[in-house]
Amino acid sequence: MFACLHGTGNLTGLAMEFSPTVEATAHDTVTFDVSGLDRIFGLPLDVAVAAAIARRARECGVKANLALAGNPDAAICAARGFSGVSLIPHGDEGKFLARLPLTLLSPTPQLLETLERWGIRRFHEMAALPPLGIAERLGGEGLRLRELARGEGDRKLLPLADALHFEDAIELDYPVELLEPLAFLLARLINGLAMRLATRGLATDELRLRLKLETGGTHERCLRLPVPSLDAKAFLKLMQLDLEAHSPAGPIVHLWMGVNPVKPQAAQSGLFVPVAPEPVKLELTLARIQAFVGEGRVGTPELLDTHRPDAFRILPWGRPVAALQRQAPSTRLALRLFRPRRAARVAIAGSQPSFVMADGVRGKVLELAGPWRTSGDWWTPDPWHRDEWDIALSDGALYRIYCEPAGWFVEGSYD
Amino acid sequence: MTDVGQASWPVHLPAGDRPAGDRPGGLSYVELHARSAFSFLEGACVPEDLAGACANLDMPAMALLDRNGVYGAPRFHMAAKKAGVRAHIGSEITCDNGRTYPLLAASREGYRNLCRLVTRMKLRAPKGEGAASLDELAEFSRGLICLTAHPDERLLDIFGRHALCAEIQRHHKREEEAHNQAVIQRARRLGIPIVATNNPAYAVPAQRELLDVFTCIRNKVTLATAGRLLEGNSERHVKSAAEMARLFADLPEAIANTSEISARLDFTLADLGYEFPRYPVPEGQTQMSLLRTLADEGARRRYRPYHERARCQIERELALIEKLHLAGYFLIVWDIVRFCKEHNILAQGRGSAANSAVCYALEITAVDPVGMDLLFERFLSEERGEWPDIDLDLPSGDKREQAIQYVYQRFGKLGAAMTANVITYRGRSAAREVGKALGFEVTSLEKLSSLARTWEWKDPTDTTERQFREAGFDLGNPRVSKFCELYRMAQDLPRHLGQHSGGMVVCQGALDSVVPLEPATMPGRVVVQWDKEDCADLGIIKVDLLGLGMMAVLEECLKLCPDVDLAQLPPDDPAVFAALQKADTVGMFQVESRAQMSCLPRLKPARFYDIVVQVAIIRPGPIVGKMVHPYLNRRQGREKVDCLHPSLEPVLQRTLGVPLFQEQLLKMAMIAAGFSGGEAEELRRAMGFKRSEQRMADIEIKLRAGMTRNGIGGKAQDDIVRSITSFALYGFPESHAASFALIAYASAYLKCHYLAEFTCALLNNQPMGFYSPAILIKDAQRHGLRVLPVDVTCSEWECTVGRDRCLRLGLRYARGLREEAARVILRARAVRPFTSVDDLAVRVRELRKDELNRLAEIGALNTLEKQHRRDALWQTQRAILPVGPLLAPLEETGEPSPLVPMSTEERLWADYRGTGLTVGKHPMAWRRIEMNALGVVPAMHLARIPNGRVVRIAGSVVVRQRPGTAKGFVFLSMEDETGMMNAIVNPATFEHFKFEVLGEPYLIIDGILQNQDGVISVKAGRVAALRAGAAPESHDFH
Repeated sequence: MFACLHGTGNLTGLAMEFSPTVEATAHDTVTFDVSGLDRIFGLPLDVAVAAAIARRARECGVKANLALAGNPDAAICAARGFSGVSLIPHGDEGKFLARLPLTLLSPTPQLLETLERWGIRRFHEMAALPPLGIAERLGGEGLRLRELARGEGDRKLLPLADALHFEDAIELDYPVELLEPLAFLLARLINGLAMRLATRGLATDELRLRLKLETGGTHERCLRLPVPSLDAKAFLKLMQLDLEAHSPAGPIVHLWMGVNPVKPQAAQSGLFVPVAPEPVKLELTLARIQAFVGEGRVGTPELLDTHRPDAFRILPWGRPVAALQRQAPSTRLALRLFRPRRAARVAIAGSQPSFVMADGVRGKVLELAGPWRTSGDWWTPDPWHRDEWDIALSDGALYRIYCEPAGWFVEGSYD
Repeated sequence: MTDVGQASWPVHLPAGDRPAGDRPGGLSYVELHARSAFSFLEGACVPEDLAGACANLDMPAMALLDRNGVYGAPRFHMAAKKAGVRAHIGSEITCDNGRTYPLLAASREGYRNLCRLVTRMKLRAPKGEGAASLDELAEFSRGLICLTAHPDERLLDIFGRHALCAEIQRHHKREEEAHNQAVIQRARRLGIPIVATNNPAYAVPAQRELLDVFTCIRNKVTLATAGRLLEGNSERHVKSAAEMARLFADLPEAIANTSEISARLDFTLADLGYEFPRYPVPEGQTQMSLLRTLADEGARRRYRPYHERARCQIERELALIEKLHLAGYFLIVWDIVRFCKEHNILAQGRGSAANSAVCYALEITAVDPVGMDLLFERFLSEERGEWPDIDLDLPSGDKREQAIQYVYQRFGKLGAAMTANVITYRGRSAAREVGKALGFEVTSLEKLSSLARTWEWKDPTDTTERQFREAGFDLGNPRVSKFCELYRMAQDLPRHLGQHSGGMVVCQGALDSVVPLEPATMPGRVVVQWDKEDCADLGIIKVDLLGLGMMAVLEECLKLCPDVDLAQLPPDDPAVFAALQKADTVGMFQVESRAQMSCLPRLKPARFYDIVVQVAIIRPGPIVGKMVHPYLNRRQGREKVDCLHPSLEPVLQRTLGVPLFQEQLLKMAMIAAGFSGGEAEELRRAMGFKRSEQRMADIEIKLRAGMTRNGIGGKAQDDIVRSITSFALYGFPESHAASFALIAYASAYLKCHYLAEFTCALLNNQPMGFYSPAILIKDAQRHGLRVLPVDVTCSEWECTVGRDRCLRLGLRYARGLREEAARVILRARAVRPFTSVDDLAVRVRELRKDELNRLAEIGALNTLEKQHRRDALWQTQRAILPVGPLLAPLEETGEPSPLVPMSTEERLWADYRGTGLTVGKHPMAWRRIEMNALGVVPAMHLARIPNGRVVRIAGSVVVRQRPGTAKGFVFLSMEDETGMMNAIVNPATFEHFKFEVLGEPYLIIDGILQNQDGVISVKAGRVAALRAGAAPESHDFH
């Protein structure tokens, strides 16, 4: 005897309460084996079990149709086709399902089109077709459909397997305020999880930490590693550095940690390839530098494909950077950029700069080239427009200055 | 200390040596390298903008050098002429070494070489591609001046020192300057002049944004991802002499050289050197003498007797033709018509050519202009200084192609070509592409492009702002407002070059030396780079070979009825006029539309000229000019005939005082205001499609002055001016109406007397006309025609008429059945008849599964199975299943089909899905009992119900229309098994029942019956959908 639930709510959980053999037939359908439950719920089996399941569904807030039948497919069809509870007497499956539409059986679009053309739209119409004729015309799929339409399906369930979860939690007796004692707790969690991963021959590329705070809030962090690893020490140090940079807002009362189980990456170094730092170690070093210089300031610079001067962004280290084809600069001089740029005051004569004054820069313009004009991003809220000049000042140096709506600036000096 | 606003000149200068003034000493500058949107996505303004910018900046001349062609040259030439600027012509030629060379036409020879060079490179490459080699540059270099940013010895060899210039540009870009210095050095070494250009790609800086958008469209990227493909700044606009002088202050000779080169460019498009081909004449004859002989012979055939009036008119026309040297043109058109006749292609001249008695005598046109008193000046006048326009209507399809290929063959591949059709950014296309460049996601893009509605009628409250708000876009959002701005800027800018439907230009000698030719998408076709207006502006003669579906129908019909001669149709057939008066005109040419049908019972045509009026009256011109009702009222005697002024009586009397035709307009101006024929034609053109307020105002002043001189003043003057101005826009030439009326009469005659053949021809030439095949068949059935369904055992590919005058649908009506598969069926059937579905499937291996199923589903295999459609479907499913060759010949031996026959509803669905029509009962007939219970009145009974009664009608919607002239009213044509009926939905009701009116295939409408003068319609008050059922597709014009 098989039962099928079709609807919304925790269907699998409900089914598991009644049977260890549960099939997740679809996202909204579960089928399970209820044979032998008469010893618990009494006879007649179908009525007693149906009543028990329906009662429990109400209690769990599951809204679903329930059907019990001698084979799983008949139960599935009935649960999908009839609302409420359906009990299909053994041997009467075909009669019971007769008026249901064939679309319930989800035939392929081509098959459905053929049947539609034939005027075959309900189970009983399909069931009445001669098997030989169907075999000749619709092949195996047609026969299977006919079998289902007659309520004669006979198959084994595909039971759900337990999913592997790698997570652990610690409930604290008293709140922890300092990072150092927290590190001990983290070490416990990390070591335990690393051990469990190792026993299954797995590693991780992501650690998730959730801290419940005394204040009632939670503090969540997630560390992603460039390659899967099992280095518990490195994990701990990375987590510590991360928590130093992002400290929780209050004392901690509960810790939860989960890791993402993945297959470990094995790579053989080349004989003549210089040995690169171990990825996790490198990650650790970068995390240390980031803790020092600030977030978003460690990585690989990437030039942006735009006319906007000095446009670049920082990518996380290790990510491939698109190579930009740039024209060779026409100037043979090297420009040393001032970072940050220096605000300047500029005197104008004949619509060209004649005197420039900025922090560490002061002098009369002896020679100049410009303006070199760029503008763009006009469709964004952040358009730009700037005029640049290359100038030779009376202080003997060559500078690049520019003017934009925000004012005049010295951008750098030429070597 | 002061801040700087804008500064310029990107040059190395010692600080003390800068020019002080704004405009240095009287230097003049000519831009020699401008580019327009005719460089297709590489320029962002129309040539007129460039000419306007020149005029604003006092630039004496400018050269337009579009990419690989002279597409924009005629418009630039005309606009420059108007602006008082000299237009130099040239092109940027792409070479196979990856560089482009700007070439300027210095002389006519240079221009010819340029055209030939472009033609050569275009014709050998796929559409839109092509590059020239340096050897070809050398071959065509005479008369051309080359500007180059890469001067070298090879180019010097090709062009010589006198015609090679080093081009430098300064757009305030640092990297440009190093290149410029290298070019200057090379130029000095080669001893060639240096020329400054700015290479403008747009007229004003604001258009740079549109150029960026075009760049994105060209490269299929968005603005956000385009990166450095976009412009670096907005400096590629037209710059003044002062600005350029400032930029090139260190190289004044580069500026001065532009004027020198401009002075050397003698060529303008006024000097095109186009000559219409001469017609080869027998020895001892001239073109004129041959034309005279032909006209005389023709006139004797046409006019029996050849009366004095006709003789005088022909003589007058021939004299003018001789004076204007147009004999060759007439002979060539006559030659094409002769070719058509010899090859059984029905050809008839339309348009103003029908005003010419010579055209009538040469059998180019079919309407006698003398008999109908048509105005010759509308066709040809001495003052107008432009070529006459002869359009030929040919049967659409292969026959027209045959005529076109004849012209190619007659004048050579490089002597004839189709005119281009410039496809511009409009409505949806502009919205979609601009939106894509701005990076709108797909759903927003769909919404945006649907905003650019194609509804003919536009609600006055339908502002862009409202449309955007309704679609959920906030105009306050900068991206949306930017979209709006760019969308408007992109309107009417060229997008790509298409092919005009039928305009051909021919030339004496090589056409490729007049205008570059390029391949069309269609194989075997060549197009010129100009559209028909450009050709007309430059005096290039065009012959329009237009395809007309009805001509193909008539031709096919004549083949089916060999005893009918179109030239000998009885002129006053009572059956024809009875049908016209009843508006029983489904399928008839020009008089079948809903608007025509609602006018026919009032106009009650009783003679041929009434059909001419009927064809002309249902046009936007008379409708907008509010001339339809006065005419109908006068015809019915409800209103007095008023000819505006006694002097206009001879002109307006025949149309009861209401001006309907362009010829009348011209004559009115000639009589009332004393205009000459040419002036009157000028008036018509001024009020044509490209209306200019200023030009219209000028002409109105002239018109009023003339009338005042002739003593016409006060109300009469106002009335005449109003009727002329309101009507001129869309008016129809009387000759054109007469030509169309002839075809309309012929189609009506054939429908009334040869219904089977006419319907058959109509069905074989779909799509055409106002109604779908489903409606045509139902109408024919109501007229007593028996229509038989598609049957694989006896249907041909086309529809056919059987010996018992039944119409048999052809296999072409089985949707999805390929013609080649159908032809194999026919061949196999000719060998021996099919015995079963299996037999068909085995013998016609080309039939695909879906095709076989389709044939079974529409009942085309019923005869084979001697059962119903589902039997056939049961068999086909087995027949199409792949079995090995061993078992393939085995026939079904099992039990009979277990499937039940299709119900009526299912059969209707299968019919409409599989053929788009049904030959069985109309779907409404099956519902009649239900309809009777609902109190629905059938269409045929509406005529018996008095005007003003509330009625309920129901039927399938045949046509939905929302014409631009009807102020938001929607017109629905509906059909039931007894006939057609019309409903009118006013804007308020439409707003309320929008979804029903637009989307439902069957409607039930309650409303007030309007039954006036035999015109019946229902003013809809409530519209509801009828339960879904199978229905033919409606033709929607909204």
